[in-house]
Amino acid sequence: MKIITQKHLQEWLSRLAGEMNLVAPVNSKGKMIYREIKSPEQIAWGFERTKMPPKNWYFPMTESILEIKQGKETKITEPPEPQKTVIFGVRPCDARSVIAFDALFLNKPPVDRQYARHREALIMIGLSCPQMWDTCFCLTVGGAPNSKEGLDILLSQVEDGYAVELLTVKGETIFEGVTFKELAIKVDEPQIHNGLPALRKSDQWMALFNDLYWQKLSDSCLSCRVCSFVCPTCRCYDVRDELVALKPGLKEYERLRAWDSCTATGYRRIAGGHNPRDTKEKRLRNRFYCKFMYYPEDYGSLGCVGCGRCIDACPVGIDILEVIENVDHLLEKVQINV
Amino acid sequence: MPESSTKTNIQEQSETTDLIIPSLASITGIHDLANNIKLIQVQLDDLAKREVFIYKPGQFVEVSIFGVGESPFGLASSSARGDTLEFAVNRVGTLTDALFRLDVGDQVGIRGPLGKGFPMDMYKGKDILVLGGGIGGAPLRPIIQTVIDNRADYGKMTILWAARSPDLLVFTEEYDHWCSQPDVSMHITVDQAPEGWEHEQGLITTLIEKINPSPENTITVTCGPPIMIKFTMMTLEKLGFRPEQNWVTLEAKMKCGIGKCGRCNLGEKYICTDGPVFCFAEVRNFLESYV
Repeated sequence: MKIITQKHLQEWLSRLAGEMNLVAPVNSKGKMIYREIKSPEQIAWGFERTKMPPKNWYFPMTESILEIKQGKETKITEPPEPQKTVIFGVRPCDARSVIAFDALFLNKPPVDRQYARHREALIMIGLSCPQMWDTCFCLTVGGAPNSKEGLDILLSQVEDGYAVELLTVKGETIFEGVTFKELAIKVDEPQIHNGLPALRKSDQWMALFNDLYWQKLSDSCLSCRVCSFVCPTCRCYDVRDELVALKPGLKEYERLRAWDSCTATGYRRIAGGHNPRDTKEKRLRNRFYCKFMYYPEDYGSLGCVGCGRCIDACPVGIDILEVIENVDHLLEKVQINV
Repeated sequence: MPESSTKTNIQEQSETTDLIIPSLASITGIHDLANNIKLIQVQLDDLAKREVFIYKPGQFVEVSIFGVGESPFGLASSSARGDTLEFAVNRVGTLTDALFRLDVGDQVGIRGPLGKGFPMDMYKGKDILVLGGGIGGAPLRPIIQTVIDNRADYGKMTILWAARSPDLLVFTEEYDHWCSQPDVSMHITVDQAPEGWEHEQGLITTLIEKINPSPENTITVTCGPPIMIKFTMMTLEKLGFRPEQNWVTLEAKMKCGIGKCGRCNLGEKYICTDGPVFCFAEVRNFLESYV
């Protein structure tokens, strides 16, 4: 096992910060969030789960997807290649969100070139979780506190440093020249939650589509969309044009895409006003069905990584893990009734 | 060690450039179709692109006005009739309002053709019942044109055209031409008829029952508001049409048009890539209703 000391890790990160964009968890007024940093001194080493996933660096909250210059002629160009970015301290659940994103944006044609550009420029150094925290449920959705999926390198804390697993060519490349020792050290197994509910397979959810449960569940929903905002796998986006410069004989626009959410009131409204998803019951149901039925059926990956952020963020206590558990119970009942 | 797969994917992309970057096009004609509805004609500026822009009845494009935005429109023209792209615009929102203020010669962006069209080959040898409601007649016009242009390939064509009022009927100038073709008949109805109205009055469902088309060797194509589609399908079923005979084109405000942005799903289906044209046998079994 490759072991790197804290000192050598910081030296390595310092070097990376000089070579590329380094993103890591920092403590911002008591809140753990990912930020672009200049020095590893800024890293909040004791962080647990960040308030927001690191999604912003491969699917930014708002970004230009086309640049349009309209003068005598109109020129439309795609944005330049993004700067190489290494995210340090990615939790294994968040890393698995790129598996879901790749499935939709890269593997299902046509390729979303803007996402592909970010993905190409992205290196993720994961930090395995020593334990599952309060609302974590990665195990229910096929992950684990020490999952390697989506990562280029996985670090796991051991006595006197970190065990290093190089998982991709990208990972190997950026680790070149780093001082480490080969030691026969065993990484402690993470502490996990026992008794987490089992997730029903995508084809089983169909039987509950018209169940009254969704109405009861959505009674308190405020359609505030915070669940999507904090979600590492929600990927719905809106597209808008914005004027960025007005010069004599030349207008410059950006076509922007920005995070959106299917729980928004008018999200599914069509021209003329008809809205097939006109109640919050239908909208909230769509969000859960997207994650556990539609996304897996369309792209072969779940639309949830079990980070639990939406459970913490929901102002009215709608709990995705409870939904998974209730769906399991309701399906048992349905099967008994049949 | 697994190599990142992104590079090959980017390289494979080159063929689909036009689905992401709008192609520049110029407005060549603007015609009043009905009250608050215009037919806009455009041509791609790049001659090479014009040649390869081949589309089927029922497919759509995303139309950009730079600085305002982009919206999907069903194509109302036929590839076989030339390289002018036509689409009907009802002024209902920001982008359509901006489209109404454009003139001939102005530039727009076009992405497409997008979505799946009507399976015209499958309709060959069959009678065709065309059911259009309001501006919903626009994406059906290419079917009418295709049948007229390939008359021997199809059976009898019956066009039922409906609108809330006479001033909302689209393509009125073409009715005489359509009806002068062999084996084509047309019936028109409006919800509110003025005095002296010489066509039918009432909903399209009433008209269908009155015409009483035979389901034998017939397919139907319907486009209109969701509520019209719903009741039209019920009426057709009553007359003995099986869902497998009925085709519809559905609407959504797709942002990307290529199955990425998540806007237009109906359950696990996407209107933009699985549709917008569907066989009703499929639509009726959708988990999530289009209505």
